[in-house]
Amino acid sequence: MEILERFWKAIEGIYQGSGLIQLDWRNYVMIAVACVLFYLAIKKQFEPLLLLPIAFGMLLVNLYPAITEAPQTTLMNAAECIKAKGTTEGYATTVINNVTYYNVPHYGGLLYYLYQGVKLGIYPPLIFLGVGAMTDFGPLIANPKSFILGAAAQIGIFITFIGAIFLGFTDAQAGAIGIIGGADGPTAIYVTTKLAPELLGSIAIAAYSYMALVPIIQPPIMKALTTKKERAVVMEQLRPVSKLEKIIFPVIIVVVISILLPDAAPLVGMLMFGNLLKESGVCDRLSKTAQNELMNIITIFLGTTVGATATGANFLSLSTLKIIALGLIAFMMGTACGVLFGKVMYKVTGGKVNPLIGSAGVSAVPMAARVSQRVGQEENPGNFLLMHAMGPNVAGVIGSAVAAGVLMNVLK
Amino acid sequence: MDLMGKFTISASMLLTGFAIVFGVLLLLIFIIWLYGTIVSNAQNKAAQRKADKELRKQKELLSEEKPQPKPVSVVEKQPVVESDGVSDEIVAVISAAVYTMYGSKQKVKIKSIKRRKTQSAWAKAAMLENNQPF
Repeated sequence: MEILERFWKAIEGIYQGSGLIQLDWRNYVMIAVACVLFYLAIKKQFEPLLLLPIAFGMLLVNLYPAITEAPQTTLMNAAECIKAKGTTEGYATTVINNVTYYNVPHYGGLLYYLYQGVKLGIYPPLIFLGVGAMTDFGPLIANPKSFILGAAAQIGIFITFIGAIFLGFTDAQAGAIGIIGGADGPTAIYVTTKLAPELLGSIAIAAYSYMALVPIIQPPIMKALTTKKERAVVMEQLRPVSKLEKIIFPVIIVVVISILLPDAAPLVGMLMFGNLLKESGVCDRLSKTAQNELMNIITIFLGTTVGATATGANFLSLSTLKIIALGLIAFMMGTACGVLFGKVMYKVTGGKVNPLIGSAGVSAVPMAARVSQRVGQEENPGNFLLMHAMGPNVAGVIGSAVAAGVLMNVLK
Repeated sequence: MDLMGKFTISASMLLTGFAIVFGVLLLLIFIIWLYGTIVSNAQNKAAQRKADKELRKQKELLSEEKPQPKPVSVVEKQPVVESDGVSDEIVAVISAAVYTMYGSKQKVKIKSIKRRKTQSAWAKAAMLENNQPF
């Protein structure tokens, strides 16, 4: 009889602790959202390297919310401590009103510890290190005017800031939402952790989702704002860039930006450090590690932990819907401003610049440049815009880091 | 925050952001243009000096040595029938490429070199090769 009673109690305990009792409807909605992201990542291949870890983090946290739980310390008196742990040895003590309490620690969930890299702003600069080691700034050095297009695409950030202010967000939150328009996941996460950490889940997911949707969002805007003749422009070949120029470039950029905007130094500094490792040609092992192993490890940690911030209670709110809408506006405005400045350059240069490369000023590297190439080839199959679009594209990375520096400096 | 406050912060952020982002990036354009020009000029001058030095050296050698026997080439260079704006350097490069492809065992004659009007398979292949990393 006692055996049956114990068996029943054990089953009841497992049932009470299971997801069937602990989870509410919002968790199930988020599990469905995670499944949609799985579909987009695996079937549609929209940024799978990011979307898959994000979706899995989202799935895990909504199945088992304690996986992100912070560590705690419970104060227990001697009797309670012995009852719970069997001993009082090894525990630190705290004396309150002449009563000795034992500090019994409860360790946090796995993703809590991994999340510290996001919370403390460690992962985004490390991702930038890898991005820098993978990026060839040659097209930008060959045509420095590309910086104008990289700057133009950042206007979307500041226009969205206005929209967010009028939708009732605080100025710091509005800054964090606006940065989605930079189309740069690590920058969006870095700025949000500094300005509005409570919005991190929604902003990170909006930023990465829109980055994944660049091939769908950008082409209609690019086509609507340009004529057939403009889209068919074949650009002149870029001049070759010497190794010395490529080596000097990261040093100059980091010196100038760190002096003018110190808040952008961690992002730009790591980006340029990674690039110098690559271009110097003497740190091949370090460059390869930054591009591959380190980048991949950080991507797994960053994606999973960012996804794990999207719990049902946090994510399913009106403010998330507003952020998703504002993020889309930011992205569209960034693309439109880039294309419009591309049109200005087309006029000024007498038709030598194809305005389609302006859309690559949003810094989703290299996808935005690929979209410029693809839309250009639809008009003229023999046209290769990719290397020309890479200039504004990498300028956009620097531009969004500069915009992030401005936001953090003004709003923190 | 009242409506006026919202307008003020929005306008000031738009202005600040626009001015600083464009200001910093325009400064970078100027700096990159400046050092690009300086480095290119310096490297061109160095290359020119090196070329001059080598030319002088060759002239000195030619004046000192007896006339050398004419080297026997496997690829017999024939007078190019249709130059079609193709420079001597390009002819030399194509001859070298032909020699590399066919080797020394076969005798090959280049009769004419014409510029193709459409984009060649080689140009497409080169373009694809350059774009592949992205």
